Amino acid sequence: MSSDTPASPRRPDGGRFRILIAKPGLDGHDRGAKYVANVLRDAGFEVIYTGIRRTPEQIVRAALQEDVDAIGISLLSGAHMTLVARLTGLLAEHGADHLPLFVGGVIPESDIPELKALGVCEVYGPGTSARTLVESLTVHLEKHVHERPA
Amino acid sequence: MNVLPDDLIAQARDGGHIGMRAGARLMTLLENDPEKQAEFLRKTGFPSGPRLVLGITGAPGCGKSTLVDALLAAFRSLHPDARIGVIAIDPSSPFTGGAILADRVRMMRHAEDPAIFVRSMASRGHLGGLALGVGGVLSVMAWMGFDIVLIETVGVGQSEVDIVRTADEVAVVLAPGNGDSLQLLKAGLMEIGGLIVVNKADKDGAEALRDGVLAMLELADTTRHREVLLVSATENRGVTELASRFESLGSANSHRRSAETRREKARQLLLQLATRRLEHSLENHPRIREELVRRIEDPSGSWTGLVQDLLAAAATADSIQPSPRKPSHV
Amino acid sequence: MSDTSSAPRRFFTVSGLPVDCVYEPPSGPLPPELGRPGEYPYTRGIYPTMYRGRPWTIRQYSGFSTAEESNKRYRYLLERGGTGLSVAFDLPTQIGYDSDHSLADGEVGKVGVAIDTVEDMHALFDGIPLDQVSTSMTINSTAAILLAMYIVVAEERGISRKKLSGTIQNDILKEYIARGTYRFPPRPSLRLVCDTFGFCAREMPKWNPISISGYHIREAGSTAIQEIAFTLADAICYIETALSAGLAIDDFAPRLSFFFAAHTDFFEEAAKFRAARRLYARIMKERFNARDPKSLMLRFHTQTGGVTLTAQQPDNNIVRVTIQALAAVLGGTQSLHTNAKDEALSLPTEHAAQIAIRTQQIIAEESGVTATVDPLGGSYFVENLTDRLETEAAALIAEIDRMGGMVSAIESGWVQRQIEKSAYAFGQSLEKNERIIVGVNKYRLENEPAPEIFKVPSNLSSVQAEKLRRIRSERDANRVKESLDRLEQAARTTENLMPLLIETVRARASIGEICNTLEKVFGLHEQI
Repeated sequence: MSSDTPASPRRPDGGRFRILIAKPGLDGHDRGAKYVANVLRDAGFEVIYTGIRRTPEQIVRAALQEDVDAIGISLLSGAHMTLVARLTGLLAEHGADHLPLFVGGVIPESDIPELKALGVCEVYGPGTSARTLVESLTVHLEKHVHERPA
Repeated sequence: MNVLPDDLIAQARDGGHIGMRAGARLMTLLENDPEKQAEFLRKTGFPSGPRLVLGITGAPGCGKSTLVDALLAAFRSLHPDARIGVIAIDPSSPFTGGAILADRVRMMRHAEDPAIFVRSMASRGHLGGLALGVGGVLSVMAWMGFDIVLIETVGVGQSEVDIVRTADEVAVVLAPGNGDSLQLLKAGLMEIGGLIVVNKADKDGAEALRDGVLAMLELADTTRHREVLLVSATENRGVTELASRFESLGSANSHRRSAETRREKARQLLLQLATRRLEHSLENHPRIREELVRRIEDPSGSWTGLVQDLLAAAATADSIQPSPRKPSHV
Repeated sequence: MSDTSSAPRRFFTVSGLPVDCVYEPPSGPLPPELGRPGEYPYTRGIYPTMYRGRPWTIRQYSGFSTAEESNKRYRYLLERGGTGLSVAFDLPTQIGYDSDHSLADGEVGKVGVAIDTVEDMHALFDGIPLDQVSTSMTINSTAAILLAMYIVVAEERGISRKKLSGTIQNDILKEYIARGTYRFPPRPSLRLVCDTFGFCAREMPKWNPISISGYHIREAGSTAIQEIAFTLADAICYIETALSAGLAIDDFAPRLSFFFAAHTDFFEEAAKFRAARRLYARIMKERFNARDPKSLMLRFHTQTGGVTLTAQQPDNNIVRVTIQALAAVLGGTQSLHTNAKDEALSLPTEHAAQIAIRTQQIIAEESGVTATVDPLGGSYFVENLTDRLETEAAALIAEIDRMGGMVSAIESGWVQRQIEKSAYAFGQSLEKNERIIVGVNKYRLENEPAPEIFKVPSNLSSVQAEKLRRIRSERDANRVKESLDRLEQAARTTENLMPLLIETVRARASIGEICNTLEKVFGLHEQI
């Protein structure tokens, strides 16, 4: 069996945390999304990678089917307000608004409060280190997993 | 949380997003604790499985996910009313236990199709255990009412054999120019499939590869019926034919779907779970471990004796304590 | 760029020492792998006198919002000494969705200008003399359509397409590898590329029908070696496609152009351009038997690396861009885009855009690097790097050949995985402080002030949608339908689609309507 890194976080039932990584919108620059997927794998997460140019509808269905513990999306094109609003709206419609939603990419500082008001858990800007990302995500996940409805 | 929530089990039969969510949760619960399968099967009255369970295996890079994507489209048009599930397995990192499950990427055109449900799984480093996890997801899919389930395997190693035992029929996918495909052939892994698919038929070398496979099959034992098909998943050539062949070969194994077989399979599953638990208990039993290590290190001792002692103890049914007897010599 | 030096002008250092056009080994034969500038294998540059004759073209990539807003930015850049235009399109335009399509929601006018019909194109180039500027368009899956629009704009202003000079990026392969704005699957997309090759060879002598781009491959995280190898492997694929469509190598190869990134590892970057030039010349001569010297010359545009810009302490980016620009110039680039310091955060403000142009002007006019050709030539270090980069890149190309060529290598996901691995390794080297990015993993500042950023006006969808509605109501609907039907029929054959695309554009068909028509025949590409 695999050797866990000490930091490797686990769900209370012993399973791995599952995180969906997606790029909504039309932008195809997936370096950041893939980098994060690799970072999370190396931190012991199971990452469901869904690729580029996903619609909010596709992301929500994938998140439900995969029963993920969180969703991470990467946004670079400036369409973040429109896309995040649609995504959080759909999550609520599907009874999945309890899922923590994380945003990474090029997001102007001034848009962050509005994104958080829409329900985004955390925004990770350019230059966020892998360690910071994993630590922050783990804190949110461990908090969330206890509040999650059965 | 030792008990599966009954409301989840009930909700999983809902055809809409509530059922989708409940089913997905159950899959997680069974994947993280395969022993819950016994409870699940009991509570759901051993649901009759999907009409058809098909396995797709093959070396990395031979286009398995693209083929599954094409097969989904083919089955959807052959059976417009059928609900189809996919179980896609990717390897876990042996170093960190994490995984990137990316098979969905190539199936996203079906992402909004309410009749299709895709579940990704990490191999989690288990060999036999992975088949148990897959069995759990499969039984939830059965309970949810899926008619056809496609299982896409990691494509390397012994775990393949376990997983494909679950399927009614298996296709081994090969591709020209894929060195790993050749390794697979040499290792005899194509033995596990009744269908051998030479994918990427649009590429040079596809026909030569098919001829090579046919020649190999002539040399091999002929007791089992095998078919070789040329397919191009990207150009959607030969896929409908593959789907039909898959279906008729798989249905020929439909005796596996009889009530008697289902009960037998469930018994086997429970037995497997129990054996696994027993193994685990023995391995982690401090005194047994200690005794075992001692006997292995003792040049004149016999560790098989310990097993006999344990079995004898089980036969008298009082206790399975290892014999407290000290060796007479030092 | 052509070599136009006529009257010999003399060059001196600031101290008054004379500077020769080229410096060569003092004795002995010239090493064959080096050659002279303007001679095979072009290691030292494709022109004998390089920047003495004429400096590189300052070509700043820009575009945002509506065509009218972008037009203002182009005029601003030209007034400040820009010598070529480079058009950025928004994502719906790049993929071929009209601004009123649901997938365009939130994306209209964001990363470039929104173009729905030729009317937008008219507004974009309003008042700009199309027969005098050279225009580069970053457009790929819909490149043939945007080229058709450019032709129609000129035509309706009475300018012959023969006089138009510029470039469409048109490099669809790297979209599957790295950039993601594909619409159709690889094979029909390659056919569209091929149609533009054939059309430009016959009708547009001054137009580059492709800019084969390593830039985005590098941005996606490749190494410099992979940048060379994957770009040239893409080139090989385009050339083979064109040859099998019946074109003759020397008819189209002289108009193939390239696009690379310049990063901060100064010597490797300068050597990269030299290595790419030499390897390309060898491939063209030995593999494709090209005879025209112009077919052997790798002409390229360079952009400083967007991913090297940091959001932290953005002023530092000016220095990075300077080093990168200098590497490109010493590597012999034909045109150059220098990034603005604030582009890690947003599109550039006007002030930042001006500094970026000034950076090139300082290198061209003050640094003295234009006085002599290939000043790094003969450096033990640079020549060694050049040799090794070429060897390693050639080995990667051989590996792709073994996989059955670039389309197969892309379809199997191999190329993408190689890049992903390099990107991850680079990122990890930063995490471990094995490599340093100033201001990011060393010399950080706490509490940085929020910089001034450029904000694209939001809610352009409705503005563009309204324009589109008006055009749809005013145009001749029958003519649109006929031209689209004709296009669909032709798409099922092997007929060159360019003339038919031009007719749909003249009829005021929108980019979305044209692409939907083609999609009926070609299909929609799904991510690999």
